[in-house]
Amino acid sequence: MNAMTDMNAPALHIEGLKKSFGKAEIIRGIDLSIGKAERHAIIGPNGAGKSTLFNLITARFAPTSGKVSLHGQNLAGLAPYQINRLGLSRSFQITNIFPKMSVFENVRCALLWSQGYKYSFWNLVGRSRDLTEGAEAILEEINLTARRDLPAGVLSYAEQRALEIGITIAGGADVIMLDEPTAGMSNTETDYITDLIMRVTEGKTLIMVEHDMGVVFGLADQISVLVYGEIIATGKPEEVRGNAKVQEAYLGAALEEEH
Amino acid sequence: MTDMANNPTKPAVASPSVMLTFGPWIVSAVLLLILPLVFQQNSAITIMNQMWITVIFALAYNMLLGQGGMLSFGHAVYMGVGGFACMHIMNWDIFGSIPLPILPIFGGLFGMGLAMIVGAFSTRKAGTVFAMISLGVGELIAACSVIIVAFFGGEEGISGDRTYGLPFFGVEFLKQIEVYYLISLWLLISAGLMFLYSRTPIGRMANAVRDNPERAEFLGYSARWVRYYSFVASGFFCGIAGALFAINYEIVTEENLNTASSGVILLVTFLGGVGFFFGPIIGAIAFTLLQTVLSLQTELWAIYAGVLFVATVMYFPGGLAGVLMMHVPILRLGNGKMLIMPYIKALIPAAIGILGVCCLIEMTFHIRHSSTGDHEMTLFWTTFDSHSLIPWFVVIAVTTAAFTVMRRNLPELVATWHDANDAKGA
Repeated sequence: MNAMTDMNAPALHIEGLKKSFGKAEIIRGIDLSIGKAERHAIIGPNGAGKSTLFNLITARFAPTSGKVSLHGQNLAGLAPYQINRLGLSRSFQITNIFPKMSVFENVRCALLWSQGYKYSFWNLVGRSRDLTEGAEAILEEINLTARRDLPAGVLSYAEQRALEIGITIAGGADVIMLDEPTAGMSNTETDYITDLIMRVTEGKTLIMVEHDMGVVFGLADQISVLVYGEIIATGKPEEVRGNAKVQEAYLGAALEEEH
Repeated sequence: MTDMANNPTKPAVASPSVMLTFGPWIVSAVLLLILPLVFQQNSAITIMNQMWITVIFALAYNMLLGQGGMLSFGHAVYMGVGGFACMHIMNWDIFGSIPLPILPIFGGLFGMGLAMIVGAFSTRKAGTVFAMISLGVGELIAACSVIIVAFFGGEEGISGDRTYGLPFFGVEFLKQIEVYYLISLWLLISAGLMFLYSRTPIGRMANAVRDNPERAEFLGYSARWVRYYSFVASGFFCGIAGALFAINYEIVTEENLNTASSGVILLVTFLGGVGFFFGPIIGAIAFTLLQTVLSLQTELWAIYAGVLFVATVMYFPGGLAGVLMMHVPILRLGNGKMLIMPYIKALIPAAIGILGVCCLIEMTFHIRHSSTGDHEMTLFWTTFDSHSLIPWFVVIAVTTAAFTVMRRNLPELVATWHDANDAKGA
């Protein structure tokens, strides 16, 4: 772990975060603290700014104002790869893998930096037992061992999502952010992915955007409800479920839909 | 395959993989050794020298295009500058104490040095931005060649004499064949190193950045630095190719680094296939043959090379290597034999038809460009009068017939192709 990080600080701390695109203010001041080893779901209606919030945390976008810190370290001005090296890894709403490379190669590439290979041109990846075994263990975990040598682009949608989760966790980051991991999946696939997320994030901090309330209530220790760029409630699942404001804004409708 | 799987002893399992790893390299080394014994004419050795230099250059170019997803329109400058640098070394007094075989290292370092400078700003972005910067830098350095005469020698370039170098175990490189083996040695070294590079962490990440730079960034790698290292490594091997060019021809001119040369290497690499490591090798061999052998036969060789390139881009984006590799699954299924007859039935008429079209082009060219009164031309060992109607009639008839037969037989080839891919063993 980096020397500048503080062991007692929350895993992720967000303060007064704002983001405008032109005149439209998408994120309108967010304060949020996510503790270590917490599974935190961010829910909210479409267009609430959930993905934008993710992109702000991981430096895909620069915030208009406000501060994000990881283990007490301010992330301002850092590039995505620097944030990743500090121990934060994410997946994307739209599947984001290396389509032309084999499934195994996808996972192996995700292991390279954390295993200390950096930009080296004096090591052969095929020679490293750690890399091969590490990648195989992850393939086993995400149930894709049988697909090992196929180009990732030909996998089914659910398999690609599983692969993306595999890539996201491979580097051993202790803060994992998943953006709608079960979007567009059938019920069986959703159960499979939920179970997978449960297993691979054991002992890690998970931050997740999700629409499927079954998944959210099944996985999350804490839930934040984001509506029009603001967090209107944060708390344990049962507290959020009982919150009148939340029910009015969002959850009631979504829960009704589900039943 | 099944025999190996059934055999539980360790050596039998290990040997196929060792053969797969080293087999192609050993075969290549043996080929490089014996080729000059098969083709002994001086002209053949000249062609092979040219070919191997182009192979190194094309492989280096493909480190960018195929492995790293960077399309460069000005890559000849790194080869050219390596060549010029070596030419200057050859003209210095120090050269007497440098053995010629290590000269390419200096060429490589100069190519790499230039790549380090240019790459510092050109690799920030891939795609169009990178392509445009490479084009601009290529033009800039090509323009410098007539301005900075001290380094580039103006229009006549720089020439030197390789034999002034320190004799290397008594070899002074007076003979073409000695240069051949020097180039071959460097070809093996460079190709081997470039292949190994593609298997290192940085080489693997070059593929990842090519496929999806954003994802690579979220895995801890800066896409920009990954591109930069590939660019610098490519510059090194381009410089080696340039040095070998300087050694082989003993002259380097502006032509070696202008945009036309950069265009040629793009064409060569794409023709061979960017998707496979060995693609550029095939491309370089095919193109050098076109350029040397075909150019002796016809002034129009560049048209044919151009048409071949366009056809490759349109119908076989994987290049010649891609076409070859399409057959691997079929051969694995043991269905290779199914294709032989349909291939003969479709490809022989196609070849005749294409040659017919070439005849028509040559005859038109002859009528337009031969000196007045010279009506006699020779094509395929047949001498005839290009202004009479009979040869035209014959060629058009043969071409039409050939294409008709090809069209009729093509569906069978397509159908067999699908069967061969599906069926589990005929």
